[in-house]
Amino acid sequence: MPGAGEPEERGDFAGIVPEPVLGPFRRSVAWLDDRTGFTGLLHNALYEAVPKQGGWAYTLGSATLVVILVQFFTGIFLLLDYVPSPTEAYQSLLYLRTNDFFGDWIRGIHLWGAYVLMLLIGIHALRTFISASYKAPRELNWISGVMLFFLVLALAITGAMLPWDQASYWTAVVVTNIPHYLPVIGNGIRALWRGGNFVGPVTLTRTFALHVWVLPALLLGLIGAHLYLLRRHGEFGSWVNYETTTDNPEKEIAERIRHAEPPYPARGSQPKYAVPRETVDFFPDQVFKDTVVSLGLVVLIFVMAVLSGAPLDGPANPATLTYVPTPEWFYLPLDQLLVFFPTALIGFGVFVIVGIGATLMLALPFIDRNPERHPIRRPDVLVPAFFLIFTVIYLAMLGVNRLYNL
Amino acid sequence: MSQRNISRRQFMVRATGAMAGLITAMLSVPAVGFLLSPLWQATQELWVTVQGGPIDDIPENLPTARIAAVPLGFGPSTPPVNRVVYVVKTGGQLYAFCNICSHMQCDVHWEPSLDLFECPCHGGLYAMTGRNVGGPPPQPLSQWVHRTYQDAMGHTYLQVANRLVEQI
Repeated sequence: MPGAGEPEERGDFAGIVPEPVLGPFRRSVAWLDDRTGFTGLLHNALYEAVPKQGGWAYTLGSATLVVILVQFFTGIFLLLDYVPSPTEAYQSLLYLRTNDFFGDWIRGIHLWGAYVLMLLIGIHALRTFISASYKAPRELNWISGVMLFFLVLALAITGAMLPWDQASYWTAVVVTNIPHYLPVIGNGIRALWRGGNFVGPVTLTRTFALHVWVLPALLLGLIGAHLYLLRRHGEFGSWVNYETTTDNPEKEIAERIRHAEPPYPARGSQPKYAVPRETVDFFPDQVFKDTVVSLGLVVLIFVMAVLSGAPLDGPANPATLTYVPTPEWFYLPLDQLLVFFPTALIGFGVFVIVGIGATLMLALPFIDRNPERHPIRRPDVLVPAFFLIFTVIYLAMLGVNRLYNL
Repeated sequence: MSQRNISRRQFMVRATGAMAGLITAMLSVPAVGFLLSPLWQATQELWVTVQGGPIDDIPENLPTARIAAVPLGFGPSTPPVNRVVYVVKTGGQLYAFCNICSHMQCDVHWEPSLDLFECPCHGGLYAMTGRNVGGPPPQPLSQWVHRTYQDAMGHTYLQVANRLVEQI
């Protein structure tokens, strides 16, 4: 929509161009717009070109954002009651359960929101991976996304430690113990996190500070960067958006670049992948699809929260002889690795394997320099990656089998 | 005499950098110190008597779980936390094991069917003497720092301190 978003400079010509007579509401909006320029911002935000085909596949990022906002929203309510002290944390959640209207729903939404978020980020990353959206110029979009994934994992594990029931106490013991397998600095990190040699009140307050302030602040900053980069380079989409339909592909691509709407053509991209064949405005076409998917997921979270809720074990008891600590499902592959690496190799198993995995994920755009975007023509990357993904799933299944004897 | 001139602009750039550095340094000293303080905090050694009465009637070669309300000895004051003390009498020795697994610190228990201590998390196994004999544990079971005393009636009681013989 060229022209429609140009800021109007009518104020400079007052007296020459007659001002339209506006009602009080419109006058207030006009005043606010004059002082803030918000309609221009809104216009830029909504009328951005996005690829036309495959829009349903591109709803995963906005759905992730919506679920993260749900986590912020419900988290604030949990903060109103929760007391981060070993002697009171569990009591405060019992109080929330029995005294607050919908207290269980709020906790349930926060828990199921976390589960859905974990799956959603996985699918979002998988979609981006299969469609090779991480290639130039979008390497940093991918890297910021991987860092967001790590942050969400850290939020999940610190959040699991807060209720101070049996499950969360033993999670705290095992998780804060892991750093001590690092050479040289390991014992120090464990002592700093725990506040001493044993898990105690300082462990809880430090984990609480990480979960409700440090990690969310980092998350918001990184989300900002992720979205800024998305808008700078434009949504890549996938190979279906770049197929040529005429018998003169070079001319067709040149035409596309000539008529591209911002943010296309993508800077630093090969000409073939610089501009999607057809684009639509982000609003309402993409926003509609995004909203349908987000609504579906929020309904799913809500239904699971109401039906299944958030469990609360017995209160933390360090003197138990019968409790079997089990990790949250998304940490099962790591837990299974711990079984496989006995004695001297524990540090290797935990840090080298996980470190290699994290480095591979972060460095993917620089490892895969093949210009091809179609998944069929990228077996060199897709086959090993799917082998790794199935290995992780297989490890999780082994863990389920070991812990639950299925 | 050569005079080095710096422009007004250069002066402002350098002075701004220096002032920002000063602000950072001033905030860093207390921040880093605060963050690292647990590394230098001494744990106050506190002794408690193991609950459940005298340990005279604990049989040979049968690890018996007793509870001790152990104060942490660090951090803001909190009530003592119940901990397990596995009292083992074997080969003329008295052991007071902490039931924390040396692998990932899960709760170890005595498994009579195996005649071993077993960890539910990753299958770690320990002999009656605490030696790690199976699974991933890298070290033996650690003992509470402990001592015994006899009352006027001749009963033997076990006391433990709030730290382990060997940090795991």
